[in-house]
Amino acid sequence: MKRRTLLRALACVPMLAPLGGTSVFAQSVKSNLIRTFGRIPPPSDIKRVFVAGGPAAILVAILAPHKLLGWPSVSWMHSEARNAFGPPLRDLPVLGQLAGRGSTMPAEKLLDIKPDLIVDAGSVDETYLSAAKRVNEQTGIPYVVIAGRLPDSARQLRETAQLLDVEARGNALADYAEEILSEAARVRETIPVEKRPRVYYGRGLEGLETGMLGSLHMEAIDAAGAFNVAAQGGQKIGVARVSLEQVIGWAPDIILTQDPNFASRVLEDPRWRTIPAVRANRILCAPTFPFGWLDVPPSINRLAGVFWLFAHLYGIGKDDLERRTTEFLRLFYGIERQA
Amino acid sequence: MNVIETRDLSIGYGRKVVTRSLAFDVKAGEVLCLLGPNGCGKTTLFKTLLGLLPPLSGEVRVLGETIAGWSRLAFAQRVAYMPQAHPGVFPFTVNEIVLMGRTAHIGRFATPSGHDRKIAADCLEMLGISHLGECSYTAISGGERQLALIARALAQQATVLVMDEPTASLDFGNQIRILGHIDRLRHQGITILMSTHQPEHALRVADRIALLAPGSITGIGAPQDVATPDKLADLYGVTEDEIAAYLPAGGLKHDHCSH
Amino acid sequence: MPGKNSAPFPAFLTALSIVVAIFLIAFAVGKYPVSPADLLRSVFARLTGRDAGLPEAVEIVIWNIRLPRVTAGILVGAALAAAGAAYQNMFRNPLVSPDILGVSAGAGFGATLGIFFGFSLTAIQVIAFVCGLLAVGVVYAISGLVRRHDPVLVLVLAGIAVGTLLNAGVSLFKILSDPHSQQLSNIVFWLLGSLNGIDTRDLASAAPLVLIGLAPMILLRWRVNLLSLPDEEAAALGVEVARLRLVLIVAATLITAAVVSIAGIVGWVGLVVPHAARFLVGPNFSRLLPASLLLGAGFVVATDTLARTLVVIELPLGIVTAMIGAPFFLYLLARTGKTE
Repeated sequence: MKRRTLLRALACVPMLAPLGGTSVFAQSVKSNLIRTFGRIPPPSDIKRVFVAGGPAAILVAILAPHKLLGWPSVSWMHSEARNAFGPPLRDLPVLGQLAGRGSTMPAEKLLDIKPDLIVDAGSVDETYLSAAKRVNEQTGIPYVVIAGRLPDSARQLRETAQLLDVEARGNALADYAEEILSEAARVRETIPVEKRPRVYYGRGLEGLETGMLGSLHMEAIDAAGAFNVAAQGGQKIGVARVSLEQVIGWAPDIILTQDPNFASRVLEDPRWRTIPAVRANRILCAPTFPFGWLDVPPSINRLAGVFWLFAHLYGIGKDDLERRTTEFLRLFYGIERQA
Repeated sequence: MNVIETRDLSIGYGRKVVTRSLAFDVKAGEVLCLLGPNGCGKTTLFKTLLGLLPPLSGEVRVLGETIAGWSRLAFAQRVAYMPQAHPGVFPFTVNEIVLMGRTAHIGRFATPSGHDRKIAADCLEMLGISHLGECSYTAISGGERQLALIARALAQQATVLVMDEPTASLDFGNQIRILGHIDRLRHQGITILMSTHQPEHALRVADRIALLAPGSITGIGAPQDVATPDKLADLYGVTEDEIAAYLPAGGLKHDHCSH
Repeated sequence: MPGKNSAPFPAFLTALSIVVAIFLIAFAVGKYPVSPADLLRSVFARLTGRDAGLPEAVEIVIWNIRLPRVTAGILVGAALAAAGAAYQNMFRNPLVSPDILGVSAGAGFGATLGIFFGFSLTAIQVIAFVCGLLAVGVVYAISGLVRRHDPVLVLVLAGIAVGTLLNAGVSLFKILSDPHSQQLSNIVFWLLGSLNGIDTRDLASAAPLVLIGLAPMILLRWRVNLLSLPDEEAAALGVEVARLRLVLIVAATLITAAVVSIAGIVGWVGLVVPHAARFLVGPNFSRLLPASLLLGAGFVVATDTLARTLVVIELPLGIVTAMIGAPFFLYLLARTGKTE
């Protein structure tokens, strides 16, 4: 009964939307990182947050775990991640994701769980924005989309924290993120371009999928100042398949991956043998606990990948890596011991 | 000796019985012609006799053996079937279609030999369609297809020939030629069971005629005893006068000369 | 097409030389620059058993990457085209492809499961192969239960139904897999087919299965023709239709499942190539089979060469075969329409 009234009220919203759209309601949050749809409630009134996908889930789980209603999916989580988390995160249900036509979260269920806000994060393009707008128009639930590039991590944490009324925690984490990113900037300044390690990042079943120039999935590697051999193609196509011949031709000094299967296979496969990285046994397999350190999903979790890369690419803070890892896991995820 | 024997035979598809209690024989060396209206089950009967359709009840024996006792290969070496012509899907040449008639005589894993090609060529020549040999079976006329199928049945070199309306869709000249061929085959000692819609064709070539009405055989015997105006009128549901007016005068009284 | 069938020999010779040319070009081009001189030197050194004195990377590119890949192209193309030719004959329909009984849908579903649950590459291949065989087994079993209709029609309809069901399963797992992880792109890429990353072990596992499947097709090459006649006519000509059909289904399924499990679903080859082959040498399976094997091998090696050299990244093979196969198919359709 009540819902029907609500739905009827919502039917008027699409007519208003073209007039007001984002700008009318965006006044509460002044930011070029965050786009809002619908009237955003005051921060103290936001108690229940639904996240649209992986990157947003990590952002909210880090900042305000008690406000998170559930996980959008667990396929990108380490199998032991949920058990390692503290009470609110450990017991969250898996609800489904919002991704346009690929959504597994029905609009009716969304209304049923009554979130105060929907948060999405990641790459921001018209497809994402229009999908967010449509969900907001259909359900009346305010919706924010946060641009999720790694260099903006500190601002993301700060501004999302303002939105969720957890400013103190947000500022602490943002300071930490700033520290890592400014360290990265110093490293990039001090190491001349020709001295930078030539890395190949292998994804996919055969390790023959990689991020090209400017790919979202290469941000941690780019931040650490490594030279992505696949960027030589100069193509802004995100992730693509390449042939093994091409990898041999690129002759990377280091092969990075998050897939232990690929990491071990590449050393045994005779076809990879002549690649300098394989010759020198420099196959670096990044951790994936509780989320990928280099990538997957592309969110705040990648900050850990940046200092991990310092240690492994340049030996910077190598002795300190254990401590930094423990610190990061405790500070960001509330996980007390290393996996 | 009987080439085909049926005892208390019921035929049809699944639960649908087309004809019951058939009991007739085809004698060695004879031409038995089947007459009957559309839909009376001539093709169904042929398929049952050829073992292509299981009998609903009763028994069929071919050359002394029950249908179930024959392998398809051994059966095809002795009994050839000329179905009604369909255009087919792929552009096989007429030569290839006729060569398919040799399948029962060539090894399971072999292809037709020069000997088989010679037989196929002879069959085409016999029917006067050698010029069609390299034509696509899908591109020739319905009548030409009919002739190609007869050639295929001949290439099978069987002693028993079952022909489903061999003269349908042929022009007048070809009808006459086909009836001539049937006559010649009989003289070679080949047993022929055929159906036709033209009683005068039956009278021209048959040793015996069987009248197949929907549900049963209403008469079988010498042409002059069976293909009488009254019985034909009964079979096709027209009047005797209409039959008499349509068929050439005296045609039905003509005493068919047997060898 | 009168006259075409009487002189198939020159046609074969032409086709063979084109395929050999494609093979040589495929060997000579790639993302890693290998000069023709180095290539010749390496080949010559292999033949004479001496050391070519080339960098090891060049040797690996030629012998461990290009050779398996080009060989895989030959295997996949020949296998899919042979299975397609047999199925088109058997289903009396020139628009049928080897997928008609659900082998690709089954293999795709199996691979999707394997990728979703994070199995190893080898395990994914085995699951894809087994699921491909199972899917066709189920389709055949269903067709055995339905006795009152034309068996060929029942097979096709059961194949469509089971294939649709399996594709729905694939879509379900696509939805469930996370867009940020690699699962989704792995599934999508697998479903589009690729020869990227094929090595000699893949060839060693697929090639014997393909040869086993081809053997009955080669042996029964004449009898396969008779399956294009209505069942009753073929039976009256001495063919055990149901048994022969089963043998062909088993053979074609084995072949297709074997190559799909190593290369993913490469579309259009099994549909277009038998068509082109029939256009060249006529429908007689004794000639259609070798022509299909030859053209299929040439087609896939050529399209795969484009897939790996056309742009800076690696394109899925299925996309290239469709881009070339579909217009070519329409061209053939227009031409046959005119001559008949």
